[in-house]
Amino acid sequence: MAILEDFDNGKVSTLPDGRTLREYWIVSEIMIVEVAPGVFYEAWTYNGRVPGPTIRATEGDMLRIYFTNATMHPHTMHFHGIHPGAMDGVFEPVLPGASFVYEFEAAPVGVHPYHCHIMPLASHISRGLYGTFIVDPKGGRPQVDREMVMVMSGIDLDFDNANDLYAVNFIPFYYDKHPIQIFIGERLRIYLVNMLEFDAVNSFHLHANFFDYYPTGTSLVPAEYTDTISQVQAQRGILEFSYQFPGKYMFHAHKTEFAELGWTGIFEVREKP
Amino acid sequence: MKTVILFLIPLALLGGVIALFILTGGAGLDDKPAAPVESIDFERIQLHEGSITLTIRNTGQEPVNIGYIAIRDLVAEYTVRPSGGIPRMGAATVTLAYPWVEGEAYEILLFTANAIPFTTSIEAATETLPISLSTLLGFTLIGLYVGVLPVFLGIFWLPALRRLGPKAFTWLMALTIGLLIFLGIDAIAEALEKAGELGSPFQGPGLIGIGAISAFMLLDALSKRRAMANCDEVSTNERIALRISMGIGLHNLGEGLAIGSAFMLGEANLGMFFVIGFILQNITEGLGIIAPLVKQKPSLKYLGLLGLLGGGPAIVGTWLGGLVTLPALSVVFLALGAGAVLEVAFEIGKFIAKKSSTLPLTICSGVIFGMGLLYLTGFLIK
Repeated sequence: MAILEDFDNGKVSTLPDGRTLREYWIVSEIMIVEVAPGVFYEAWTYNGRVPGPTIRATEGDMLRIYFTNATMHPHTMHFHGIHPGAMDGVFEPVLPGASFVYEFEAAPVGVHPYHCHIMPLASHISRGLYGTFIVDPKGGRPQVDREMVMVMSGIDLDFDNANDLYAVNFIPFYYDKHPIQIFIGERLRIYLVNMLEFDAVNSFHLHANFFDYYPTGTSLVPAEYTDTISQVQAQRGILEFSYQFPGKYMFHAHKTEFAELGWTGIFEVREKP
Repeated sequence: MKTVILFLIPLALLGGVIALFILTGGAGLDDKPAAPVESIDFERIQLHEGSITLTIRNTGQEPVNIGYIAIRDLVAEYTVRPSGGIPRMGAATVTLAYPWVEGEAYEILLFTANAIPFTTSIEAATETLPISLSTLLGFTLIGLYVGVLPVFLGIFWLPALRRLGPKAFTWLMALTIGLLIFLGIDAIAEALEKAGELGSPFQGPGLIGIGAISAFMLLDALSKRRAMANCDEVSTNERIALRISMGIGLHNLGEGLAIGSAFMLGEANLGMFFVIGFILQNITEGLGIIAPLVKQKPSLKYLGLLGLLGGGPAIVGTWLGGLVTLPALSVVFLALGAGAVLEVAFEIGKFIAKKSSTLPLTICSGVIFGMGLLYLTGFLIK
């Protein structure tokens, strides 16, 4: 649950010109994760978690991300967004033990991914070097009761460039074994990002309900009212919905193979006490 | 002179036929395949930090040019030495710039300039040992453990065996036959497996035939020459012991070769359990070497020579396996070992054949027990 509702707003201060400065500290490190009973996988992480910290800021804020590489391989942080080339995290590999400061303005409004951009890219992403970057509009998005981050991905256990397991927030079946507890009428907002390697398309399907969908979150007007959306790698969007009836409701990839290999979860809806 | 001319006539005619074929562009048989037929053998893969080096050999009919190489779906930069096309049967070293990661598996796809794909794979990437003094020492140590040490340990059974009667002696000789037959089958199987990886010009099965039959016939011829010179029982027994140790030595050479190449690639499973298994299995080889000598008093020097002959080649094998890249050579050595041990089995068979009418069950059970012994100890190392 720690990843689901954990947002890193950074260390906030004000610059001489009156703009807000947000500072974040990110370390790439290796972590052994039990991805299935008794199956341990060496994940490459930002701050010891996959997906990495959800970096959150408001449009126009100045961001400073202090990145340190504590692994044996070169890495970077490549943000999707609008920024100068030198801050793009592609041609400036951060060598083992070295650091780099990414500095740019938060833009545009929406939900974006960030990830390592070192060759071989498929390996570095598949290993877990990715996270979510949220840029709120000035004044924020409309108030909801709860906000969650879900990053869809896969795990290639045998390094044959084909996923063996699938998940949201990296651990297969996690929200199936630990259903997300919500109340009737609670308005939910989900920041959904697809970082799936090797497979072309991923999807999200919500049971017994429909949601407003904001592709990339760049508009405050929903583009669609639906119960299933698809995303290719790095595509993302915002979902908003609430449940009317109590019960257990699945959410999963509507690619049955992915769902049955781990990308499946449950919302458990109860009366508000 | 007339004989020479008579021999030359068919050759002259052959020259004429070849000239006709060339002049007429195949004499109506100039059928070309729709796509070029190319063949590449991957002979060795070496991993060093940030690079993967492939030794490849062109085993096709025509020269081959490399188009591109993709490693796990990523087109990688590479250099080839020598540069340019690879001639038929020629080898080249291809070095890929690729930041491989310890323990990961890699599939490498090589496309020739004619768009013919060839693949090889790395099961678990690990740094290839450098060719250095310490590596050679490591090889020597392995050879010592899996070859020399167990054979010598087996030889220490001699005083105990001496207390046995003639029936037990015959049984031991039969047991040795069983051991040797099993080793021979094992070596042939391994040679066939290796031969399957060779390109067609190497004619793997033919190589096995040449290796095995040569070793067999040579040892047989040697024994016949010696037999004519000297034939009292003591020297016959010593001769047999010497040849058993030579046969086992050739076999251990092949075994060392396999371990050496696996060790170089970081694929060797050389845990404690494995080494103990090898010692257990090869201790039976020492037993086989001394079996013919239980009725006499060989000198320590002679026993030492037998042990070195039987176990020492394992050390040479690990060196060859680690340093020599030609897989065809492993096939030849395995086949030589197979031929040698089978010949010795055949020789001992002849030696105890006289007794087979009086002790049929002793011999039968000995052979089966010998094979069973290697099968059971094999569980530890397979």
